[in-house]
Amino acid sequence: MTIHLSIVLWLPLAFGVLALLVPRSLARWVSLLGTLLTLGYAIALVADYDTAAGGLQYVTDRTWIAELGIHYKLAVTGLNVVLLLTTAILFTAAALWAALRDEPSERAGLYALLMGLAQSGVLGAFLAQDLALFVVFFDLMLVPFYFLTLIWGMDPDKRGAAVLKLFIYTLVGSLLMLVGAIATGVLAADGGSVSFVLSDLQQHLLSNGSQQWIFLVFALAFLIKMPAFPFHGWMPDGYSQMPIAPLAVFTAILSKVAAYGFLQVAIPLFPKAAVQYQELILIFALASVLYGSVMAFTATRLRLILGYSSVAQLGFIVLGIFALNERGADGALLQSVNHALVAAPMIFVVALLAARAGGSEDLRDMGGIAKRAPAFAALFLILSFALLAMPGSANFIGELFILIGLFQAKVAMAFIAAVGVALAAVYALRLYIRSMHNRVGPQVDSREISLREALVLVPMVLVVIALSLYPQFALGRVEQAVKQSLSAATATAGKETP
Amino acid sequence: MNINWFLIVSALMFALGAIGVLVRRNPLVVLLCLELMLNAGNLALLGFSRMWGDGDGQIFAIVVMVVAACEVAIGLGIVVALYRRRLPIDVDELRELAG
Amino acid sequence: MTSVLASVKGPEIDWAAFSPLLGLFGGALIVLMVGLSSPRVIRAHGVPALTIAAFGATIGLLIWEWNEQVSLIQDALILDRLTILITLLVCVAGIASTLLAWREQAAREIAHGEFFSLLLIAAGGMVVLAASRNLVTTFVGLELLSLPLYILCASRLRSERSLESGLKYLIVGSVGSATLLYGFAMLYGATGETDYAGILTQVVKEGLMGDALFLAAIGMTIVGLAFKASLAPFHQWTPDVYEGAPTPVTAFMSVATKAAALGVIVRLFFTALLPGVDDWRPAWIAIAVISILVGNVGALGQRSLKRMLAFSSIAQAGYLLVGVVVVTELGAEAVVLYLVVYLLANLAAFAVITVRERETGSDAIGSLRGLGARSPILAGAMTLAMLSLAGIPATAGFIGKFRLIEAAADGGYTWLGIVIVVGSMISLAYYLPVVAAMWRPDTEPGVDPATGRAVLAGGAQEAEAERGGWEATLVAAVMGAAILVFGIVPQPLFELVGDVLKGFGTG
Repeated sequence: MTIHLSIVLWLPLAFGVLALLVPRSLARWVSLLGTLLTLGYAIALVADYDTAAGGLQYVTDRTWIAELGIHYKLAVTGLNVVLLLTTAILFTAAALWAALRDEPSERAGLYALLMGLAQSGVLGAFLAQDLALFVVFFDLMLVPFYFLTLIWGMDPDKRGAAVLKLFIYTLVGSLLMLVGAIATGVLAADGGSVSFVLSDLQQHLLSNGSQQWIFLVFALAFLIKMPAFPFHGWMPDGYSQMPIAPLAVFTAILSKVAAYGFLQVAIPLFPKAAVQYQELILIFALASVLYGSVMAFTATRLRLILGYSSVAQLGFIVLGIFALNERGADGALLQSVNHALVAAPMIFVVALLAARAGGSEDLRDMGGIAKRAPAFAALFLILSFALLAMPGSANFIGELFILIGLFQAKVAMAFIAAVGVALAAVYALRLYIRSMHNRVGPQVDSREISLREALVLVPMVLVVIALSLYPQFALGRVEQAVKQSLSAATATAGKETP
Repeated sequence: MNINWFLIVSALMFALGAIGVLVRRNPLVVLLCLELMLNAGNLALLGFSRMWGDGDGQIFAIVVMVVAACEVAIGLGIVVALYRRRLPIDVDELRELAG
Repeated sequence: MTSVLASVKGPEIDWAAFSPLLGLFGGALIVLMVGLSSPRVIRAHGVPALTIAAFGATIGLLIWEWNEQVSLIQDALILDRLTILITLLVCVAGIASTLLAWREQAAREIAHGEFFSLLLIAAGGMVVLAASRNLVTTFVGLELLSLPLYILCASRLRSERSLESGLKYLIVGSVGSATLLYGFAMLYGATGETDYAGILTQVVKEGLMGDALFLAAIGMTIVGLAFKASLAPFHQWTPDVYEGAPTPVTAFMSVATKAAALGVIVRLFFTALLPGVDDWRPAWIAIAVISILVGNVGALGQRSLKRMLAFSSIAQAGYLLVGVVVVTELGAEAVVLYLVVYLLANLAAFAVITVRERETGSDAIGSLRGLGARSPILAGAMTLAMLSLAGIPATAGFIGKFRLIEAAADGGYTWLGIVIVVGSMISLAYYLPVVAAMWRPDTEPGVDPATGRAVLAGGAQEAEAERGGWEATLVAAVMGAAILVFGIVPQPLFELVGDVLKGFGTG
């Protein structure tokens, strides 16, 4: 079977456009069909992917803009293959959620189009093997979320300001990244013809001075997008206002594009700078872990608990990446997949909890929801265990790898990071116990999960369990690519340490 | 005569015109000052033309004169339109008071 | 006949290469004459149709002369790729503005013939300006474009704001002209030449770089041009004039004047003043940076869309200058490319504003409220225009900005690229609220949120749409579509502006 990456990339957008054209009542189902087809294609792609061969597979390479040296180059590598599948799964879940709950009630066609655009944007960012193309998709995937929040956001009075903040924050990073990318292309060409293809750029690494500022620009863009402390200023407002299904994919997968960006772009292209700024980035990551955990423990709005928890989790992922060894980066990629798969259903759980607590998303208004909902409680418990990285879950393996990697690189930081693991248990259990058990909240109406709700949640929990049973599914595919991605940086580090 | 004198006079005219445009509020005076600035340019052109001993500067100056005349004509036209626009309002008001 | 001609020593004129200008000025005369005819339908519809025909014919002549490089009238003008491209932009802007002005109050007030023939003359002046290779023709071209625009700005004779806008533009514009003239006079004084080519040789021969008179000449010239191109800190007139002028005129001014001004800046500074590059580069860099900052900061918090776009145009002109100061062919190409992109976005935006202004009588951002539900085409075009001006991917604006930053990095001015993106970041804070106003579910009373139609009297809505005019909607739709298409398939744009300096030094 020949696999065309352009198909998997543009399929969601094509169905989004289709959804805009069909009658309103059908739009959600067309959108779901699009995500399902994409999912099917992604599964075929993962099955067909040749792990042993490694390298770039199913390469599509065309000149997009000859004058600018931008290529439309897509490829599947060990780094992105599992993330592609994860993206397809999560967007399918979001579309399913929208279809089963008849959300949104207005302008469903436009909603479907925007979600399709978002999915194409994310897939494009993962697939791009050209620096400029990556930047294009990195910016593009944000645009639909602006409109999604603006039109269907939670609070009509506040969402405008919140989404403006989100957009400006993240675009500040992206635009600086654009300058960095262009400078990379121009400087690497050194008067010759400019090319932004990653493999070409890797052939002509920049001088140390240029690497430094460009690396910092990229790092800033990625840290803002994640978000990492102290660049998370947009997160509380943005998370509060985003509608549920877009929030699920946003928190789950858009943050991972940033983590992926480190491995795919920043470290291979600027290895010297990556080694030089290793500690700086690690400090940001460590601060994110601690700050995120503490804030997740003190916050009372469920969304914010999850938001801060993802700050902490992303901090972990960055710790793994910037251990700058294979073990850490393997763990980071595994953890990216894990967190994506756990965070999205958690957001859906928030919506279900709110529906049972009189519409409030505040933890103080909850409690005792488990009473007449054992199945719902069980699903939630599994997700919570995965979130806190219970031994036996894939998250445990991911965090373990990250910590091992970090121990090999920076022992002191690894000890502090280990505290973060413990804190995760605290906030995850607090979230579960105070909402499901404890004293029954004032407006709480405990009821079992409905069939429609279960249709979304159960498959996702099954995926989480499956990955826990067989984490090798992800690990096996990433190992070789991670080695390659880090090779330049480890070579630099090896040269400097002795 | 030294070319410098031409230049000094023209620079003074230019500065005078510029200051006039900035500080005067009456549109007619402002238009006058604009003329002064353009003619300062003309004087400089003529002085330089004399210095180089060719006709280019003089031709330039003649062209500028035409342009300056057009500019004033348009400026006056707009000023008149503005006054006319204000006048009927007053007349209307007067009529209303009377009846 | 031939013997008579031979005895008169007139300049040689290549009529074929001169034809685009004749198209515009001839069109102006014909339009003026037809405007005198008595049937109302001819005045109201025949005249604008003829205007479009004149612009269209000029574009046709341009395509015919596409590969020519001819110097005209003893090197007073030149027809080269830069002239052709700028003329093309001006004509496209002219056609769009004519469509927008079709039902404009202003055109009725000062009579259709006058309004549209002034538009054509201004366009001709822009072409002369961009084509000129002599200080005298440069000045004439500048005035030929400015004088009709003063009148056009004031053309809503019954609106005090319009008259004030015209007077203000006239005063500030004339100060700019006078300053420029003084600069030209000194340039002539320093070199004894009025041709660009002659100035170039004189400057090199006499080693005038750094000479006091030459420096003063450059300084005055830069200030004069900055006034005309509305660059900060010589921009104060722009918001008032943009706001007060009739919207179609504002649209034309914002786009075409900028194109012509950038054209003359490129030509004057890349040829005649090229040896003095170290003298003038810092000045232009300072103006570029100040324009980007002042324009973007000034646009924040503006309620009137036209004022907001006025400040935004100052910032955009600052971006464009970045392509000039690197003084490379890539830079010139980036400038023209960005002009195209800017033209598309601005015309789309002004088309939407024209429609809304007719429907609601206001150009406040609030007048766009709920447009996304009521008229997705207009809202879509406006959204694309705003995103394109901000430089979001998948719009033409991104490509333009990419090229400008690349030109900056290539010329060794990466930090100017950073200034551009810092400007773009600030600009998001005023472009996005416009988008938000259109798409946020409408809370306006009397509008059914489900259908987005007025609850009372659907007929009134229809009548309003009629008043907005389908031509303006057409302009918005075409420009919006072009923004999207060129954002995804930019190859034609690059082919269009490629070799922009081809034949630059001919003659």
